[in-house]
Amino acid sequence: MTRSSNTSEPWRVGVLFSRTGFMAVIEETQLRGTLTAIEEINAAGGINGRPLEPVVYDPGSEASAFGRYAKKLMVEDGVSTIFGCYTSSSRKAVLPVVERLNGLLWYPTLYEGFEFSPNVIYTGATPNQNSVELCRILMERYGTRFYFIGADYIYPRESNRIMRELIRNSGGTVVGESYVRMGASRGEFLPVMRDVKRAQPDVIFSTVVGDGTVYLYQAYADLGLDPKVMPIASLTTTEAEIRAMGFDVGEGHITAAPYFQGVGSERNSSFVRDYKKRYGDDEPTNMCLEASYFQVNAFAKTLEQTNSMDTEILRASVMGSEFEAPQGDVAINPLWGHADLWTRIGRANRQGQFDLVYESPSCVLSDPYLLGYGRSLGQKNLELA
Amino acid sequence: MQETIDIARFAREPQGAGARKDASGRDAPSGPSSSRSFWNLKVAVIVDRDDDGERLIRELQRLRCDVHHEWPMPSQIPAQYDVVFCVLSPDLPQRLPWIPGEPASALVVIDPGTGMLDLNLLHNCAAHGVLHYPVTSRSVQSTLALARGHFLYERRLRGRIEKLDESLRTMRSVERAKSLLMRLKNVSEEEAYNYLRRQAMERRVTIGAVASAIIDSYELLG
Repeated sequence: MTRSSNTSEPWRVGVLFSRTGFMAVIEETQLRGTLTAIEEINAAGGINGRPLEPVVYDPGSEASAFGRYAKKLMVEDGVSTIFGCYTSSSRKAVLPVVERLNGLLWYPTLYEGFEFSPNVIYTGATPNQNSVELCRILMERYGTRFYFIGADYIYPRESNRIMRELIRNSGGTVVGESYVRMGASRGEFLPVMRDVKRAQPDVIFSTVVGDGTVYLYQAYADLGLDPKVMPIASLTTTEAEIRAMGFDVGEGHITAAPYFQGVGSERNSSFVRDYKKRYGDDEPTNMCLEASYFQVNAFAKTLEQTNSMDTEILRASVMGSEFEAPQGDVAINPLWGHADLWTRIGRANRQGQFDLVYESPSCVLSDPYLLGYGRSLGQKNLELA
Repeated sequence: MQETIDIARFAREPQGAGARKDASGRDAPSGPSSSRSFWNLKVAVIVDRDDDGERLIRELQRLRCDVHHEWPMPSQIPAQYDVVFCVLSPDLPQRLPWIPGEPASALVVIDPGTGMLDLNLLHNCAAHGVLHYPVTSRSVQSTLALARGHFLYERRLRGRIEKLDESLRTMRSVERAKSLLMRLKNVSEEEAYNYLRRQAMERRVTIGAVASAIIDSYELLG
């Protein structure tokens, strides 16, 4: 798999995001982020004179299809590096394949943490980079009574377990909890919202993903509830979902993310400008798109140095490396292979953008097993970055 | 030198590993490296029934494996056997019904010995062993033993990782339950932990289950 440098043969990489099914809204933007980065790199002459060639499949929002396509990529297409996956169930389907055949999966999505594979580079946030600060701010501004709504799969169950721990340790309570099935229809959110109305929490913490996000926020709006008093807080509702549900529906709700389109840096301004030029003025960027974009650039910078697609060599080289991303300076944590990312908390406005409520002073070291957050919010991890 | 090669922890599934008596009624040596561990092993053999194929099938039958022969090669390799012997074909990875890393059985590929050896193809099959024609009794036995041994070892490792992941989560709830108990019952760390352990033993559940129950009920009380 190590190729000689005297060639213009393309570097082939695999890309696995759903363009169809109930996860398409967000995964489509991750596909765009990946392909945008690849096109930019190729336009600038490729890597050591060789272009990147993406081999793209659409797993159609079905977890087992991610496993099958990962096998196809590695076995039939001879690819060893794969960019892809949004849901934790799809990542867990790809995991045995990349581990057994020694591939490298670049995973650009926030997730619940508590995982470490030598065959994955994680570039989305883990709970210490979003949930911890989110919990503190919600309790400060809105109150201590939480209601959990989630889709019924790994990520919501695990995120809620962690959130519950944070809330309890800071003296708050969880007054209700409901799960809807993955790919639930609009009607299934009405009884949930009625239960919320009955329980009268101060905050709704949502781990609903995909099309369900739109139904949830719309059901909330239909019942005439007020986000100023009882907002929905989420780790996954980005500009893409807000646009899908309607700006008026999304306004006032809270999201924690390493990146919002509104991040005010020169790097981000040009990223947003180029993206809009390519896909249209009303197409917003979002955190998952941004992670998909910067991880391809991180990969390219690494490959430029190694000039080899060999997983062992690539991984050794990427660990500990630093990159300038649209969200700011980030690094791949050498201990965990997870990215050190920024913590930001935003409130959606009428323009479908997020106004910043909180921003970390620099990127926050990743701590996927929450080793630094054993007992309470007061006991914070040392931020060395 | 030992008479038999000590292949680490090579064993039949527990249900197949019952104590067997030999003809004289004495307890037979049924250690993990005994050839008796091949008895009734369900083996699929996917080869042409030429002289080499016949020799392989005969040897497996002599070892008292439960042999199932299939030819031509099916589009999907069957998954319900303990071990699969299959001729290495360029599209073998696609014919395997499992994804690499989660095999349903041990896989021995047979190199027919013609053409260039494709190491990448071998890698993509994620096989547990390779057999070369013409086979000998020794090569079949040793390959079968190692392939089966590696397959079971991998499965144990996967199980261990799963267990570790689960334990990590459990440890967090035990920690939380312990500090809850210390606060509510005003007891020491040692006493809180002993309480959890005693409850788990009396109720015959895991300490993690007791911890979760305590945390949940505390939350219900508010």
